[in-house]
Amino acid sequence: MKHASNGRAVTRRQAIKRMSALGAGAAAVTAGGPRAFAQPKAPITLSFWTFDNPQQRPWIHKRVNQYMEKNPNVKVDFQWFTFADLGKKVSVGYATGTAPDGFVTGDWLMPTWLARNLIAPLDVKLLGYSSLDAFRKDHADAFVAGAMKDGQAYGYPLWFYGFCNYLNTKQFKEVGLDPVKDQPKTWTELGEVAKRLTIKQGNKFTRQGFKFAMHAAQWTMIQFNPIVSQVGGQWFDASGRCTINNEAGVKAMTIRASLARQYGAEDPADSIATFPLPQMDWLKERCAMFSCHPIPPAAIKSQNPVMESEGYFLPVQMAGVTPDKRYTTCYGFNLVVNARVPKAKQEALHDMYRFVMSDLVDCWEATAPFTLARKSGWTDDPRVKSFPHVQEIIKAKDNGVFFPRTPIWAELADAMHRAVQKVMLNNADIKTALDEAAAEVDRATAEFKKS
Amino acid sequence: MISYRWRIRLWGMAFVAPTIAYFLVFKYGPMLWAMGLSFTSYDMMKPPRWVGLENYASIVRDPIFRAALLNTLVYIAGSTVFITLMALGLALAINTRGRGRRVCMSGMFLTNIMPILAVCLVWRFLFHPHGLVNQLLRPLGFGRIDWLTDSTLAMPAIILVTVWRFAPYFMVVFLAGLLAIPPEYYEAAEIDGADVLRRFRHLTLPLLMPVTFFVVVVAALLSARIFLMPYIITGGGPGNATRVLSMLIYETGFSYMKMGRAAAISVVLFAIVMVLTVVQMKLFTRGEEDYA
Repeated sequence: MKHASNGRAVTRRQAIKRMSALGAGAAAVTAGGPRAFAQPKAPITLSFWTFDNPQQRPWIHKRVNQYMEKNPNVKVDFQWFTFADLGKKVSVGYATGTAPDGFVTGDWLMPTWLARNLIAPLDVKLLGYSSLDAFRKDHADAFVAGAMKDGQAYGYPLWFYGFCNYLNTKQFKEVGLDPVKDQPKTWTELGEVAKRLTIKQGNKFTRQGFKFAMHAAQWTMIQFNPIVSQVGGQWFDASGRCTINNEAGVKAMTIRASLARQYGAEDPADSIATFPLPQMDWLKERCAMFSCHPIPPAAIKSQNPVMESEGYFLPVQMAGVTPDKRYTTCYGFNLVVNARVPKAKQEALHDMYRFVMSDLVDCWEATAPFTLARKSGWTDDPRVKSFPHVQEIIKAKDNGVFFPRTPIWAELADAMHRAVQKVMLNNADIKTALDEAAAEVDRATAEFKKS
Repeated sequence: MISYRWRIRLWGMAFVAPTIAYFLVFKYGPMLWAMGLSFTSYDMMKPPRWVGLENYASIVRDPIFRAALLNTLVYIAGSTVFITLMALGLALAINTRGRGRRVCMSGMFLTNIMPILAVCLVWRFLFHPHGLVNQLLRPLGFGRIDWLTDSTLAMPAIILVTVWRFAPYFMVVFLAGLLAIPPEYYEAAEIDGADVLRRFRHLTLPLLMPVTFFVVVVAALLSARIFLMPYIITGGGPGNATRVLSMLIYETGFSYMKMGRAAAISVVLFAIVMVLTVVQMKLFTRGEEDYA
């Protein structure tokens, strides 16, 4: 065998030697370099749904596109819906046989899918873990508790974050408070500080000291849940009966109502918050403090460029009754696999999920300050460490108390939302409002058990 | 051999068959399916399971259903009465020889062609504790009114928005009815010495009875199915103050995934609409006979 290139003759032996060397080199590169993701043999199309968000959805989309580039045999039909609609769309999808092969779910909805066997257990080895124990140890406890059932993992986590108390430091300074030293650590302190920050003209609040969200049931739960936990309350007893109307529940609601009733520091009827922007009152400086998930700088900039450029905001830990109690609510989002799709698709989804979550620093850079459930692979990176207030944000995640895990989550949230509205807007008796909420929840539980 | 008469019948049937098929597949089929579903437990994930009348029994025991039912009836009554009165008033005002009446009519009709979502969002701001409505009322001595967060005022506020939106539409219907009344009747009444009020009571009202019947029935049906206004403006709150049956159906079906129960509530709503329509037909038919 002879080649004419470069005018030099190449013998068959030389050619075989060179080809062998090339093969060995390629093998060495593959073994030592980044993991090669599986290549399905036959072309496969996966449907995948997620929620919309200016940062998170584009990042997942980018990663899915990158995965398709690396795996030409895999085509992903990527769809997204509003945050509030995604769960409903998936439900209808299951009913009509059009549910996606894989989707992102809020982890408060995991019991809903699990109770009906709609999502498949994950093979943690396909996700790169040596064992279930290794998987468990690599993630935040609260995430693990929500994603596992009967010794199997059902969710592969994306973001997972806690809530901080966001302070407007300029307004703190205006009333002679030091945002660092005077940040409220208990609900009493929060009430007093909020009172000082409040400005009223007659019955009109020019500025509310602290603001509880009133616009959606989900947010009612987010902000009420830690107070229940802090005062030693629980949503359900061992038999599954709702216990939110007991002494602890009444105490929690009394604390919840005290900002308006006792301290006169908020007007529950006055808000410009909407579902996509619950922090709007705070961003527009209509309230001085607001309990919120990590707020990206871009979101602050879009609504209040001066606040963003001058940086007069500070996330701190939410008020707790005592320092040893959990401070705030935390929740997250999981990648899950539809239990009704064929094995080949389930395996391909495992591979795609592993790829999507294989570069956590890239995820952080694109979606900061939304923290991740995984412990390894991102917190030590200098790009994460240099993010403003990142330690407070991570601490909120680590100190968070999780949502109640129940398949009647929507009924519980709606019942509590109604109770809060009755107490805060119509001055209803706290115990009566909670009795009604507990009765609603118990009815829903009984119906669920019956069905 | 098919007779000529039968051939005509078959052709007729062939022409109406597509329409009948459409109604069977897209109207009556789903209605019957929903009625059947109301006797099952169905969470959209597993196949429906027969439970007989259990869904109906459970909704009757449910205080939220009872509150939503009452709200729906109040809303239907309030909206229908005020839409009819306002539409008639506007039509009478427009039906003059005054200048600029066409412009006024077009301006008023705009409320009906605005996107409902925009309408709801705008009214949310107007009804804000420090919004335009309260600012306009302040010089009249009114203090702060929590239109949407006070449980006694939230439903009247929703009814007000409904009237604002739909009255101009029905005004056009009334106007068509008014224009159809021969002017000779009024001339004769005038010669007989009837004043404006008597002409209205003894001429306009009786002759507008078929139009009024149409307006009342359509406004009631429209009100019975209202969903977006309370859903967007108040979310059914505060508490259950503005939760109507259509909202409850949506929440029960798509948030709580209880399709059987949602179907049972739909059947109740359907029954209410049917009863209302039959009662109105009886009342108005009697009224027309009286005037005949």
